[in-house]
Amino acid sequence: MADPTPKKETDAPTSSASSEADILDLKDDEGWEDAEPEEDTTQFISLMDDEVFSDINQMLKHCKEKHNLDFLDLRQKLALDFYGNIKLVNFIRSQVHDGKSIPQDLSRKDFEDEKFLKPILEDDAVLFSLDDLPEVAGAEDSEENDKAKRMEKDPGALVARVSELEDELRRVQLQFESYQNTVKETLDKKWEDKNGSEKEETEEKRDDDSHYFSSYSYNDIHETMLKDTIRTDAYRDFIYNNKDLFAGKVVLDVGCGTGILSMFCAKAGASRVISVDNSAIIDKARENIFNNGFADKITCLRGKIEEVKLPVDKVDIIVSEWMGYCLLYEAMFDSVIWARDKYLQPDGLMVPSHINMWVAPVADPDYISDHIAFWRDVYGFDMKSMQAGIHEDAQVLDMPASTLCSEPFPFLQLSLHTTTVKDLVFKRKWEAKLTKDIDALDGFIIWFDSFFMRTRQEVVPENAKAEEWAASGKKGNAFTTGPGGKVTHWKQGVMLIDSTKEKAESTAMKAGEQLSGELEYAVPEDNSRALNVSMTWKSASDEKEESQSWKMR
Amino acid sequence: MADEKMKGMEHSEVHYFNSYNHHGIHEEMLKDEVRTRSYMNAIVQNKHLFKDKIVLDVGCGTSILSMFAVKAGAKHVIGVDMSTIIEKAREIVEVNGMSDKITLLQGKMEEVELPFPKVDIIISEWMGYFLLYESMLDTVLYARDKYLAPNGLIFPDKATIFMAGIEDGEYKDEKIGFWDNVYGFDYSPLKHTALTEPLVDTVEIKAVVTDPTAVLTLDLYTCTTADLAFTSPFTLDARRDDFIHALIAWFDIDFTACHKPIRFSTGPHTKYTHWKQTVFYLREVLTVQQGEQVKGVLDNKPNEKNKRDLDVKISYKLETEDPTRQAEGSCEYKMC
Repeated sequence: MADPTPKKETDAPTSSASSEADILDLKDDEGWEDAEPEEDTTQFISLMDDEVFSDINQMLKHCKEKHNLDFLDLRQKLALDFYGNIKLVNFIRSQVHDGKSIPQDLSRKDFEDEKFLKPILEDDAVLFSLDDLPEVAGAEDSEENDKAKRMEKDPGALVARVSELEDELRRVQLQFESYQNTVKETLDKKWEDKNGSEKEETEEKRDDDSHYFSSYSYNDIHETMLKDTIRTDAYRDFIYNNKDLFAGKVVLDVGCGTGILSMFCAKAGASRVISVDNSAIIDKARENIFNNGFADKITCLRGKIEEVKLPVDKVDIIVSEWMGYCLLYEAMFDSVIWARDKYLQPDGLMVPSHINMWVAPVADPDYISDHIAFWRDVYGFDMKSMQAGIHEDAQVLDMPASTLCSEPFPFLQLSLHTTTVKDLVFKRKWEAKLTKDIDALDGFIIWFDSFFMRTRQEVVPENAKAEEWAASGKKGNAFTTGPGGKVTHWKQGVMLIDSTKEKAESTAMKAGEQLSGELEYAVPEDNSRALNVSMTWKSASDEKEESQSWKMR
Repeated sequence: MADEKMKGMEHSEVHYFNSYNHHGIHEEMLKDEVRTRSYMNAIVQNKHLFKDKIVLDVGCGTSILSMFAVKAGAKHVIGVDMSTIIEKAREIVEVNGMSDKITLLQGKMEEVELPFPKVDIIISEWMGYFLLYESMLDTVLYARDKYLAPNGLIFPDKATIFMAGIEDGEYKDEKIGFWDNVYGFDYSPLKHTALTEPLVDTVEIKAVVTDPTAVLTLDLYTCTTADLAFTSPFTLDARRDDFIHALIAWFDIDFTACHKPIRFSTGPHTKYTHWKQTVFYLREVLTVQQGEQVKGVLDNKPNEKNKRDLDVKISYKLETEDPTRQAEGSCEYKMC
C-alpha cells in the first residue's frame, strides 16, 4: 500500500495555547460541561518511564532529555493529524510497555494500525492534552502570521478571527468526542454478546433506532451504496452540473455516511457543509473529508439530526440520500422533513426535490417455482411450512421488466419542499390494464423515481418517468429504481400474493382486463422504522375484491 | 445455525433475511446441492450403520438431516437447535409423518435435556466460512464428549483446511483499490478496514497460481476446542509465472465411516457451495516464477473479547534468488 499523502495539521487548533484558553473562559457558561476541566491535579505520566509531571511540556522535555525521544519533533517530521498523534502516543507507550525500543527511523507505518487508537493507559492525560501542544510549524504559519498582521489593523477581522477560532475549537472538541466514542464503541462492540437477541427483547425500553444506526457502521453497506452508480452518479451530476446553485451556499447533509455528498457540495463551491450522521461511520467521513482537504469547509456532527446542535441557524440547501426500500422503509425521511422545517431558509432548496412512486402487477412463474414451489418437495420431503413467511413480508428483489403485466401506475408524488410527516402514511387508489395474458397474478411491485430540480417552483408531472426525463431535454436530473432502468441497491419492493389459501381456483387473466384497488402505507405501532404495505385489488370482471398486507421489518 | 451463517452476509442482506425469519438462509443451504446431497448420500447410503441407532442432530435447522437419518432406519433422532426455526422443523417433521421418530429440542446443547443418556451417532452440519468462522464445532465437541457412546460415529468426522495463492488483480483493484479514488475523492481510511476483512467469494480455478496445501486437519473423534486456535506453517509451490494478490482458504469434509467414504470440497476446483472460498488480500503483490515457493505461517485464534470473531494472521516470504522480487510481510485479519 502506498504511503498516504502527508496530512496537514488543519484540523488541529491553529491558535496558540493561550488564546485558546481565553476562548475557553469565554465559553465556560455556554454549555461546555462535557469538556474536561483542566485541573491542577492533572498528571502526565512520562511516555518513556514512570515519572509523573503536572505539565505536558515538562513531561515531553523529560522524554527528550532523559530518553532522547523528541515527541514534538516526531509529530512535526511525520506530519501527524489528530488521530496520528493519538496513535503515536499509544504506540510509544505500547513499545515501552513491551520493553521494546522506539525505532530511530520511526515511520507512520509503524503505528498506522487502528489498534493504536485504543489508549494504553487508562485516562491518559497526554491524550487529552494533545491540543495544548505547540503548533506544528509549516505552511500554515505564514498564513497565520499574515492573518495576525491583518487583524492588528482591522477590528472587524479580529471579531471574525475569534469566531473562526471558536469554530475550530468546537471542531476539535467534536473530534475529541468522536475519538472517545470510537474507542468506547470499539471496546463495547467486542464485549457485546452477539447471541443476546433474546435478552434484548426482554429489555424494558423499546429502541427502534440502535439497530438502524449500527447497521450503517460497517464498510460493506457503504461500498454497496457508493458502487450503486445510478444513485451516486445522479447526486454527483446534479451537484456538479449546477455549481451556480451551490456556490457560496450553506448546505446541510442529513445522514452523510462516508461524506460523499458533502464533498460533492464542497467541491461544487458550497461555502460550508454541515454533515450529520448518527452512525459510527462518521468517524470515517471525518477522516475522508480531512484527507481530501475539505476539513475547513465541512463540519461533521455525530448524532440524530433532531438532537445535534448545528453551528448555523439556517441553511440554503439540504442534500440527503434518505430513500429506503419501498421508499419509506427505515423512516429516515421523517428526519429530513424535521431538518427542513427547522433549518431550511424559506427559499432554500431540497436535493432531491421530488419523488414519484409507482406500482405494477407482476406475474413471474419462474420465481414462484424457484422460491415458493421449491418447498413442496425438498429432497423428497414436504417443507411447505417454510412458505408461510414469504407471503407475510415484502421482499426486496430485482424484477425484470418482463414480469410486469401492465403499465405501471403512478400512485403518489412527494414534493420534498412541502411534504409533511403525515403525508407518509396514506391510502391511494390505483388501476392497471393488463398488457398480456397471465396464468396467475403473482403479486405487485413498488418502486420510486427521484427528481432533482433546480428551483422550488419547478413542477414535476405526477406521471413523469425518470428514465424518460433526460431524453425529454428537461432541466434537472432524475433516476429510477424501477425495472425500466439499471438495477440499483434498492431493487424493487415485491409483494407476493398468498396463493396457498385459495384452492384450485384458476386466476388466469387475459390482456385488456382492468384491475383496480387501493394501496396503503402504514407504520406499525411496534417499530417506527418498519413499514406495512396493504393492497386491495379487484378485476373488472370479478365481483370479489382481494386484499393482503405485507410487512417490511 | 441460521443466525450464525448470517454473520458473513452483507449487512443490508441481513436486514432482508431477518425480515422473513431466515427462510432465505435455509433455502440457500438446502439448495446447496454439494452440501445437502453429500449428507444425504452419507446417511441414506449407509443404512447398515443407522439401522436401529439413536442419532443426535446438532444444529438441526429445518431438520433435513434428521429426516435423512430416519429414512436410513434410525430408531430415534434428537434434533437440537437454538433458533426459532425449530418450530418450522416441527411442522415439517409432522407433515412428513416422522413425529414419533424425531424429537426436536430448542435450546443450547449445553442446556437441553436429551431423552437418551447416550447416542450412537452424531450428525451435524456445523461448518462456517473458513470452516471455523461462527462454526458450531465447539458445540459438536461438547455433544461428543457428553453423549456419544463408546465406538459411536460422527458424520462427518474429518475436516481439512487448504490454502493457495491466486492472481486477482482486477478484483483486488475493484474491492481494495476502489477506496483510493471514490468519485475523485481519497477514501483510504476505508481501504485500511477493507484490507483487514477477509472476503467470502467464489474464486475461479484459473486464478489459482500455486498448488494447494493443507494447513489444518481436524479429526472429530479426537480434536478438542483447543485445536481451534492453531499456528500452521505452510509452503505454496508456484505452478506458473504469475502474480499473487491474495491467499485463499477453503475446506474439505470427509465422512470416513461410510461404506464407501464420502467427501466433498468447498475449493475453487469443484462445484459451487454456499461457503465459497475465503480470500485474504495481501498488501503487496508477489511476483512469482514457476517452481518458486512462498513460505508462510497461518495463525488463527478466536478473538479474546468475542470468541465468535476470528483473529487471523498470515506471514509470508517469497523465496527467490532474484533480489528485486524478494518479498516478506505479514497481515492481520479479523473475521467479524
